[in-house]
Amino acid sequence: MKSLLRKIFLVDLIEGLWVTFRSQHPKNIVTEQYPAERPRIAERYRGAPRLNVHPETKETLCIACNLCALACPEHLIVVTSERNEQTRRKELTTFTYDISRCMFCGLCEDACPTDALELSQDFELAAFTREGAIWDRQMLEEGPVPTRYRY
Amino acid sequence: MPEATFLDANELVLNMGPQHPSTHGVLRVVLKLDGEKILGAECVIGYLHRGVEKIGENRTYQMFAPYVDRMDYVAAVSNALGYCLAVEKLLGVEAPPRAQAVRVILTELNRIASHLLWLGTHALDIGAITPLFYVMREREDILNIYEKYCGARLTTHAFRIGGLQYEVYEGMERDVKAFCKKFLPRVDEYEELLTENRIWKDRLINVGILNAEDCKAYGVTGPLLRAAGVKWDIRKAHPYSGYEKYDFEIPTRENGDTYDRYIVRIQEMRQSVRIIEQAVEGIPEGPIMAKVGKVIKPPVGEAYVSIEAPKGELGYFIVSDGSTQPYRLRVRPPSFVNLQALDKMSRGSLVADIVAIIGTIDIVLGEVDR
Amino acid sequence: METEPWEDELTRALKSQFGDQISEFSIYREQKFLVAHPDAVVPILEHLKLEAGFDYLVDVTAVDYPKKEERFEVVYILYSFERRQRIRIKTRIRDGQELQSAVSVYPGANWLEREVYDMFGIRFSGRPDLRRILLPDEWEGHPLRKDSSILKMDQKWVQENLGIDSGQ
Ligand code: SF4
Ligand code: SF4
Repeated sequence: MKSLLRKIFLVDLIEGLWVTFRSQHPKNIVTEQYPAERPRIAERYRGAPRLNVHPETKETLCIACNLCALACPEHLIVVTSERNEQTRRKELTTFTYDISRCMFCGLCEDACPTDALELSQDFELAAFTREGAIWDRQMLEEGPVPTRYRY
Repeated sequence: MPEATFLDANELVLNMGPQHPSTHGVLRVVLKLDGEKILGAECVIGYLHRGVEKIGENRTYQMFAPYVDRMDYVAAVSNALGYCLAVEKLLGVEAPPRAQAVRVILTELNRIASHLLWLGTHALDIGAITPLFYVMREREDILNIYEKYCGARLTTHAFRIGGLQYEVYEGMERDVKAFCKKFLPRVDEYEELLTENRIWKDRLINVGILNAEDCKAYGVTGPLLRAAGVKWDIRKAHPYSGYEKYDFEIPTRENGDTYDRYIVRIQEMRQSVRIIEQAVEGIPEGPIMAKVGKVIKPPVGEAYVSIEAPKGELGYFIVSDGSTQPYRLRVRPPSFVNLQALDKMSRGSLVADIVAIIGTIDIVLGEVDR
Repeated sequence: METEPWEDELTRALKSQFGDQISEFSIYREQKFLVAHPDAVVPILEHLKLEAGFDYLVDVTAVDYPKKEERFEVVYILYSFERRQRIRIKTRIRDGQELQSAVSVYPGANWLEREVYDMFGIRFSGRPDLRRILLPDEWEGHPLRKDSSILKMDQKWVQENLGIDSGQ
């Protein structure tokens, strides 16, 4: 009897619709209006790679130790260096990083002894060509410049 | 034998997938039909095969850890936990208590996230579009916790062999507690939408029945086994990572049909919240990493370690030859083994039900194909 | 591998039944396994299922040791819901040797055996439908054998399809 009444008065349907109507309240809207409204990225986010430079001298922090390249499971980092005869130290010449193969696991970042390599909070990595996904030292030091839309 | 006329219902072979929205990825099912009735369903898989096991043999133990996240990508943390436990077993170390507690919190959150995604897509397959939006809303909260904890949302690489890489972030306990508090009423909300819904019930009850005997014969585990009435959960049967400390129940049902599996998964989410609430209350202080050294070199030997992943028993069988790379790494994926029972489950049902049955197994093709 | 001997009522029952068909009962890291003669595997599985309650076949897999004469080690993992116990059964076979299929005992072995065939090229006899499962039907070779290398496969593919040297 009860189930028949439930059927006649479409109770299950109304119950379901009530949930929908409850969620219409502006307070319950959770959608993010992405390009207009930028998401808040967590501090530990592993996004675009960045090769840090010293904040004052603008010299690179990388000591060309190659540890990041060895730690990477995808072997996508290539570091070349040159020995500076005056200071008798290795100096970084080029640094390439193929983000198209990167899986942002953070192992390279963990391996770096000087905090030179860092996965930053930039997340917009799309490129028009495959070559565009291979980042050189300059790109890594400056970081990507995503388009900002204004409304 | 009289000659067949066009009035006879001939056997029809229908190809479903690999690009079909309700095969959850790239599963191809070859259906043999007699009118609307299914006579047999053969799965053609492998479209997403990436050779995870071979990759494992060519990477060091640490390097391989991020790859396991890519098998069952909606439950990446569970995969990582299984892998870390397997290597730890080979090494003979155990993660410190603090790491274990954090691992439990994150894996249980992951179980909720996985079940939520399953619920949303399964309901979508059946025709209920609304729940998808709600489950995504809650899943987002979980992913935000992951993002804050380890910096990635889906393929997290959250755990390391021997413990954790990242310390608990400030306010994690608060976030997790807030999520638990908010989440339970939300589960009631899903139930309001679905459990008593007439269409939902008509489409699910007595569809895709797999009884306990068949489950065991086919090696089916996870919610499918529990919906058939077998009270078996590796977290209880062989506790790992400190699950013996938490008080929770294993939800079971009797019929083993699609509706029961839905109820079991809903209940499991509630139990997961219970575990998380207990775990987050008393995260012990202390180190987060056991002493494993920079280079991981397990002694010659082999071990099989399995955990209760959201989809069933996820096992890793690792053979070590004493070097830094696994000699053989075998993954026993729950989805792969469970999918094998599709043929059995779908025989005799209607074509429209195959969608419900594929959905109810809860497969992730990344894990089926590896 | 430093193993301990494994002895309890189960091993005694198996020993009396199968005698020297089983060459080893061991425990490594609290995990029990036995090594059996290839011909005895399916009878042992049957015995374990019917008499000892090991009703769930967890996994079938193989390990390749190209230097040994008995090249493949096939591993069956069994579980008993009653005893809450997991054991492994291992057997060693030569390349090209056929192994009896376990599908008649555990229907769930079907796909697992197909995967072993696909990845290692181990053939199982007495079962229908031994085809590749994950790889395409026209694939050459069996990738999980130790002598097939990822780099070589990659190089070959890149050269055939792109006409360049792969940078790996
Ligand atoms: S994040 Fe991982 S895959 Fe990417 S470069 Fe670093 S180590 Fe390699
Ligand atoms: S590990 Fe750090 S310091 Fe060493 S080469 Fe890489 S970026 Fe440079």
